[in-house]
Amino acid sequence: MEWLQETYATYQSTLAYIGLNGLLALSVYTTLSCGQLALGNAGFAAIGAYAATLLTMKAGAPFGLSLLLGALLPALVAVPLGLPVFRIRGVFLAIATIGFGEVVRIGLVNWEYVNGAQGIVAIPQKASVGLVWICLAGALFVLSRIRGSKWGFALEAIREDEPAARTMGIHTARYKLAMLVLGAALAGLAGGLEAHFTFMVAPNGFSFGRVVDMLVFAVVGGAGAFYGPAIGAAFLTLLPEVLREVSPHLGIEPGPLRMLVNGLVLLAVILFLPQGLVSLPAWWRERLASRRSA
Amino acid sequence: MRIARWASLLVAVALLPGLARAETVVKIGAALSMTGPAAAYGAQQKAGILAAVEQINKSGTLKGVKLEAVVEDDGSTKEQGIAVFQRFINKDKVAAIIGPTLSNTAYATNPLAQAAGVPVVAVSNTAPKGITDIGEWIWRVSLTEAQVIPGALKAAQQKLGFKSAGVLYGNDDAFTQGGYAVMKSALEAMGVKTVGTQTFAKPDRDYNAQLTQLLAQKPDILVVSALVENASGIVAQARQLGYQGPILGGNGFNSPKLIENAGKAAEGVLVGTAWNKVSGEKGNQDYLALMKAKGHEPDQFCTQAYVGVEVIAEAIRLSGKGTREGVKAGFLKLKGLVTPLGKFSFQQNRDGDHAPAVQVVKDGKFQIMQ
Amino acid sequence: MQQAVNGLFLGSIYALFALGYTLVFGVLDILNLAHAAVFMLASFVALFLVGRSGLHILVAFPLAVLFAGLLGVVLERVAFRPLRARADSNISGLISSIAMATVFEALALWIWGPNVSRFPFGTIPERQFQVAGAVISRLQLTIVAVAVAIFLLLTWLVTRTRLGREVRAVAESPRAARILGVDVDRVIAWSFFISSALGGAAGVLFGLAFNAIQPDMGRGVELKGLAVIILGGMGSMPGAVVAGFALGLTEVFVVAHLGASWRDAISFAGLFLILVLRPRGLFGAAALREA
Repeated sequence: MEWLQETYATYQSTLAYIGLNGLLALSVYTTLSCGQLALGNAGFAAIGAYAATLLTMKAGAPFGLSLLLGALLPALVAVPLGLPVFRIRGVFLAIATIGFGEVVRIGLVNWEYVNGAQGIVAIPQKASVGLVWICLAGALFVLSRIRGSKWGFALEAIREDEPAARTMGIHTARYKLAMLVLGAALAGLAGGLEAHFTFMVAPNGFSFGRVVDMLVFAVVGGAGAFYGPAIGAAFLTLLPEVLREVSPHLGIEPGPLRMLVNGLVLLAVILFLPQGLVSLPAWWRERLASRRSA
Repeated sequence: MRIARWASLLVAVALLPGLARAETVVKIGAALSMTGPAAAYGAQQKAGILAAVEQINKSGTLKGVKLEAVVEDDGSTKEQGIAVFQRFINKDKVAAIIGPTLSNTAYATNPLAQAAGVPVVAVSNTAPKGITDIGEWIWRVSLTEAQVIPGALKAAQQKLGFKSAGVLYGNDDAFTQGGYAVMKSALEAMGVKTVGTQTFAKPDRDYNAQLTQLLAQKPDILVVSALVENASGIVAQARQLGYQGPILGGNGFNSPKLIENAGKAAEGVLVGTAWNKVSGEKGNQDYLALMKAKGHEPDQFCTQAYVGVEVIAEAIRLSGKGTREGVKAGFLKLKGLVTPLGKFSFQQNRDGDHAPAVQVVKDGKFQIMQ
Repeated sequence: MQQAVNGLFLGSIYALFALGYTLVFGVLDILNLAHAAVFMLASFVALFLVGRSGLHILVAFPLAVLFAGLLGVVLERVAFRPLRARADSNISGLISSIAMATVFEALALWIWGPNVSRFPFGTIPERQFQVAGAVISRLQLTIVAVAVAIFLLLTWLVTRTRLGREVRAVAESPRAARILGVDVDRVIAWSFFISSALGGAAGVLFGLAFNAIQPDMGRGVELKGLAVIILGGMGSMPGAVVAGFALGLTEVFVVAHLGASWRDAISFAGLFLILVLRPRGLFGAAALREA
């Protein structure tokens, strides 16, 4: 029993980050599910994190309210962002949204009120591992409803062939914007939770590298299923911890090893398992079947 | 009868090693930046900690207690720092934690230790605020910028007599910003005119634009608050732009890496330091001899980390207990400990207290300025 | 005036880096995010050749550039070619390049460690020149000269040689090019070779310029490179050069007068505005080309 408590306390932050990374991965997935590569989510997470923090610390708002508003604000920002930006296609959209994320980060670095680059410290720890996981479960629930509904079909159609979907009468612009807004809300929620878990929030936690991580979680897990990104996030958050234990035996420093494995896993997935880890059971079944018939 | 006496003697002799082996192991966790922008400091800190632990165990000052250092990489980031701290507190069950390397990381990790009642000894956090004020379990060996820079500036003023200064500082790090604040007020207090202030960020490598802007105002001295990676580039580029005047830096300059990377450009650079390398005091001389025997060239970070271990060992000795409470109780009593940094005591606010010094880079080495 | 010199110097490195980026994008419609990692590895290789093997920089530079080019070919084979048939090849290619970039950075971290390395003193002997009230070092002159030489060489290659024509044909439409008898696979491999060689050259020059070589040195330049190619127009080589210099100059003046913190904001705000208002950039051709 004590062992369980000890393990929990030690790995508390890992458990929390599985949930947080899951939320962030899902936030990128929302737009991926309709075929758009929008990478501004580090910016949305930053807005959510800072908004929630300022509300708790400066305005003394109850935590629940701060979290809610912290998720709402980036969602609102997503609207004027999404309207012009979805006119851009493919890789250009990715670049434009990356630009947005960077502008948010640089804005925060230059904003004296929030201590610029140093960020805000000593944030009360109001978020617990349990709360993070509840939020993740909630997000998964919402996405599963969307998947199974008329919306899900529309998103799938847009992803497969956007011009065709439009001719079928689907309001592609509206769906894409809705997904961006949803993603922004999820990212903002994750940001608010993270700030109230790690005691501190700073602009350098919302860099381009962060959104690349989110994308990697989603792709490795599998952007075909709504739970894929969460699985990818869990896998890639646990991996460094496992490697940390293993690396002394391999004689490689944990830092490079973690990066190397991350890169190789991503490469293996994109080359051989493009539907992500969630397709592993199906792929395995196929291998067995083909081997049997050979 | 005689057989019985011999037998009991034999038994006693056989038991002796067992008795000697009955000592407690006290673990000290070291959260150090082995990767990231602070890696240069972390490597030195690791060397200092391991040397101190070895030395203290060998000398036997702590009867029946063996120190063990557990070193982990905090990656110069708060996420990794938090994970490392949690492992130290819950899994390794350390009696005390040394580190983390950067003040920036400490802001996120120290509240954890404070809440869990684990003593933290900061050996390289020099941001004036936000470290020891976190709570009663957070203690500091490293002198803050506020304790070192004003003295360094005054000494430089006496020697060089400058009237105007150009200031350059990193605006994305708690340490460099804290350092800047101290430099600004010290210059004001001295009546020196600041003719220009420019900033940069840690990942930057090109400082030509900022330096050109500052040098156009013809300052008598350049005052820089930067970590060593940036510092080397700044110094090199300032010289390249033709600036021959003095440059004074904060704690981040205190690394041999500065001279290694800036080369001849580093000649004449002034740095306030917590460690008087050429001090003839016994604490320092013994330490230098020890490190020389190991073939390791120590810098300020190595020394401060070394003292961090010494301070914990002394606390254990004073309180007689190798537990978390014992270490804290020992800190409260600690006064005038002989260390390579001089006679060390904790202040009322748990910050460190000993005499700082001023260095100048001469002939490719840090020399104490006379 | 000094600031203009600073800006030109910085700009030449940006331009060289962006050229490689835009070349691959022009030909394959793919953003190769491993470009920055090649940039970094070339710098380390040059460092190794000069530092450990004691080669003169004049010999080490072309060798490092060659290495970078070959690495680009490997990159194409491993990470891009298998994905070419896929429908979402530009997104999966992007992700694949991210994976390779991570692998490269991990290898550099493993071999050379995280700390900053520098070229040995005297690799390019120190010497300052005074030109019109500004100070230029021999190092800076050399770098700008080499960059310009490379631009000229590249222009000759693209406009006068058969390979250059083939590259432009493939960039226009691979299918048409194949019908016309162009070995598309070979051309793509060559494009990657040249692109990565350019990135590698930029890396070595950057390493010489700022003497701060470390595994994550590509991060800062990567996003700037992105801004440059958008500004100049994706796929346009003269655009990349002009935009590179423009960005270098703009950045320097922003830092001098607005403060360093705003420097990056200019690139990204500019990038964002251009994409929304004039996606083809200054010189670019139409947005997405035909299959």
